[in-house]
Amino acid sequence: MPDLGIEVLFKGTNMLRLLQGLWVAMRISLISVLISMPLGILVGALMTVKNKAVHAVFKVYLEVIRIMPQLVLLFLVYFDTTKVWRINLSGEAAAIIVFVLWGTAEMGDLVRGALVSIPKHQYESSQALGLGRLQTYVYVIIPQTLRRLLPLSINLITRMIKTTSLVLMIGVVEVLKVAQQIIEANRMTTPNAAFGVFLVVLMLYFVVCWPISMLARQLERKWS
Amino acid sequence: MKNLSKLAALGIAGTLALSLTACGQSTAASSASQSAGSAAAAPAASQSEGSGQIYRTLDEIKSSGEINIGVFSDKNPFGYVDENGEYQGYDIYFANRLAEDLGVKANFVSTEAANRVEYLETGKVDVILANFTVTPERAEAVDFALPYMNVALGVVSRDDDVIETLDDWNADDSIIVISGTTAETYLINNYPDIPLQKFDSYATAKEAFQNGTSVAWANDNTEVIAFALQNSGYTVGIPSLGSADTIAPAVTKGNTTLLDAINSEIEALGEENFFHADYEATLLDTYGADYEDALVVEGGKTAQ
Amino acid sequence: MNWDFIFKYLPLYERAALLTVKIGLSGIFFALLIGLVCAAVRCYQVPFADQLAAAYIELSRNTPLLIQLFFIYYGLPKVGLSIKPEACGVIGLAFLGGSYMAEAFRSGLESVDKIQWESAASLGLNSAQTLGWVILPQALSTSVPALVANVIFLLKETSVFSAISLMDLMFTAKDLIGLYSKTTESLFLLVVFYLIILLPVSVAGSLLERRLRHAGFGD
Repeated sequence: MPDLGIEVLFKGTNMLRLLQGLWVAMRISLISVLISMPLGILVGALMTVKNKAVHAVFKVYLEVIRIMPQLVLLFLVYFDTTKVWRINLSGEAAAIIVFVLWGTAEMGDLVRGALVSIPKHQYESSQALGLGRLQTYVYVIIPQTLRRLLPLSINLITRMIKTTSLVLMIGVVEVLKVAQQIIEANRMTTPNAAFGVFLVVLMLYFVVCWPISMLARQLERKWS
Repeated sequence: MKNLSKLAALGIAGTLALSLTACGQSTAASSASQSAGSAAAAPAASQSEGSGQIYRTLDEIKSSGEINIGVFSDKNPFGYVDENGEYQGYDIYFANRLAEDLGVKANFVSTEAANRVEYLETGKVDVILANFTVTPERAEAVDFALPYMNVALGVVSRDDDVIETLDDWNADDSIIVISGTTAETYLINNYPDIPLQKFDSYATAKEAFQNGTSVAWANDNTEVIAFALQNSGYTVGIPSLGSADTIAPAVTKGNTTLLDAINSEIEALGEENFFHADYEATLLDTYGADYEDALVVEGGKTAQ
Repeated sequence: MNWDFIFKYLPLYERAALLTVKIGLSGIFFALLIGLVCAAVRCYQVPFADQLAAAYIELSRNTPLLIQLFFIYYGLPKVGLSIKPEACGVIGLAFLGGSYMAEAFRSGLESVDKIQWESAASLGLNSAQTLGWVILPQALSTSVPALVANVIFLLKETSVFSAISLMDLMFTAKDLIGLYSKTTESLFLLVVFYLIILLPVSVAGSLLERRLRHAGFGD
C-alpha cells in the first residue's frame, strides 16, 4: 500500500480547517441555490411569454452568463466593482452574487425547456375543464414541469458545489485551498501528502453531494 | 431572432468587460496621480471620509487598528499555514514585525500569483508580502519598497542525464517550472525556445518531475539544491542561473505614506540584522546555513 | 487597454484555444457515448450493468474534476501507467461528462409517453428499433437543452487542466497575469476566445432544439 501521507490530517487543527473550508463551499452554494431556484422559475416562465423583447432580454442574459468564464465574473464582481464604484464586497458576497446570476440563468433555461416540452393538449384539456390560465399553470403545468426539472436541477446544484473551488481566486479560503495549504505546509516532512489529502477531499465532496443526489431521486420517484 | 440575441449577447458581454475594466484603469490611474479635478476621478471625489483614494494611507491604517497584508498561504517556507491555522514563513515573519511596529493588528489575506496586483489596485489589501519579485512590468502597476530577499535560479536534473547548460537545447525536451515563479519569467525572457511544462503548485511540479515527464526542473537555487539533497538520483547541474532578482513589499501605486513607512522600517531593521534572524527562524531548516548571506537583503541594500 | 500586449499574446491564446477545443471535443464525444450507453442500460434495467452505471454516475458527478484529474495524472504512474497530459484531459472529461450526459438522456427518455413504447411493440419493432427510431428522436428534443448546457459546461471545465500542466485558455490567462500583471488585457482575450468557442455551440444548440421540436409541444 503506497504511502498516502494521510497522517498530516491528524496534525493540529488540519482536519477541522478542512471541514471548515467545506462548510464555506457548502454555505456559498446553498445560499446561491436557494436564491436561484425561485428566481430561475420566474425567469423561465417569463421566457415563455410571447413578447419578443422580454424573450430577447432574458436570452441575452442567459448567453452572457453561460459563456463568460466564472473566474472573469468573479473578478468583475469582486475587484472591478471596487475599482469603478468603490463598493467593497467581501469575497463570499461576490461569490454568492455571481453564483446566483449563474444559477438563475441556468435554471431559467431548464424551466423554459421543461415548460415548452409539455404537450399542447395539457393546456387545451385544462381549458376544456374550465380552469383559468393561472389555475392551469399552478395545478397542471407546474407540477409536471417540476417533475421533469428535478434530475436536471440536481445536476446544477452539485455542479455549483464543485465550482466553489474557483472562489479561492478572490481570497475565499474553501476546502480545496485548505487542502493545498495543508499539502504545501507539509511538503518537506510528508511529500506524498497530496494523495491522502485529495482522497479525503474527494470523499468529503462525495459525502456532501451524494445525499442531495439521492434526495432528488427519491422526490422524483415519489412524484411520478 | 434567437441568433440575433446571441450576437447581442456577444456585444454586451464584450462591452461589459471592456467598460468595467477600462473604467477600472482610469480610476486606478487617477488615484495614482494625486491631481484631482479630472472628470474621470468622480468616484474618488464622492468619497466623503479619508484621503479619497482607493488605498488607505498610513494614518487611516493606524486609526483602523489593523493592516491588511496579502500573502501566500501555500508557499512553504515563505508564506504558509501551519497545523494550528497560523500563518508562518519568511514573508510572514516580517509582516508580523511590520504590523507590530506600526501598532496595528496584522490581517492576512490569502492571495494567488494572479491576483496580487488586483488586490493592491482595489485597496483590498494595503501591502503585498507574497514573495513578489520586482520586475519592470510590475513596477508600472504597483510601487515596490526596498527589497528584503535575493533570488537566484538553479536547474536540477537526473543523475543519468545531468543538464549543465541551457544553450543548444534539444527542442524535444521540456523543463518544468512553477507558474508565477521567477524561474518562469527568466526562462521565458532569456530562453524563449525551450518548451516549458508549467505547474501551478510545488507538489504537482515535484510529482511530475519524479514521474519523469521532463528532463529538468528550474526553480530558486535554494529549492533545487534542497530537493537534490532530500531525494537521491538528482543533481543540480546549474547551481546559479541568470542575474540576481530581488523580492520586495508592494503597495498600491501612489500610497507614499505607507511606502515611506515600510522603507524606513526596513532600513531600521537592518540595524538589528532582522532579516538574518528571519532566515534563521523560517528558512534555515529548509535550505541550510550556506545560503543565508546570499539570500538575505539587510536594510534594503543589495550587494550590487 | 494595451493593444500591443493583446496582439503580442494573441498567438498564445490561439494555441490554447485549439488545445481546449481539441481535448474538449474529444472528451465530449466520449462523454456522449458513455452517457448514451449508461442511459440505455438503465432504461432497459440490464442486470448488474444497471447498478454499475448507477454507481459510476453517482461517483463521477459528485466529485470535482480537478481531483479526478489529479489521481489519473499523478497517481497512475505510481502503478506503472504513464499517461500524457492531453490523454488524461480527455479521459477526465469523458469520465465526468459521461454521467452528466447520462442524466440528460435519461430525463429525455423518461419524458416520452409510455404509450410510445407500447405502440412500437404492438407494431412489432424490437428494442433496438424502438429505441433508435421511435423513442430516441422524441427523447432528444427534451434532452437537447440539457445536453447543450452540458457541452458548454464541459468546455468550461477544461479550465482545471492547469493542474496537469495543460496550457488551456484559463491557465494561459492566469499565467500571463502572474507574469505581467495586465489583468484587463489577459482576461479580455480570455473572454473573447471563450466567446468564439462557446457562442457557436450555443447557437447550434438552439437551432438543433428548434429542428427537433415535434407536434406535441406546448407552444
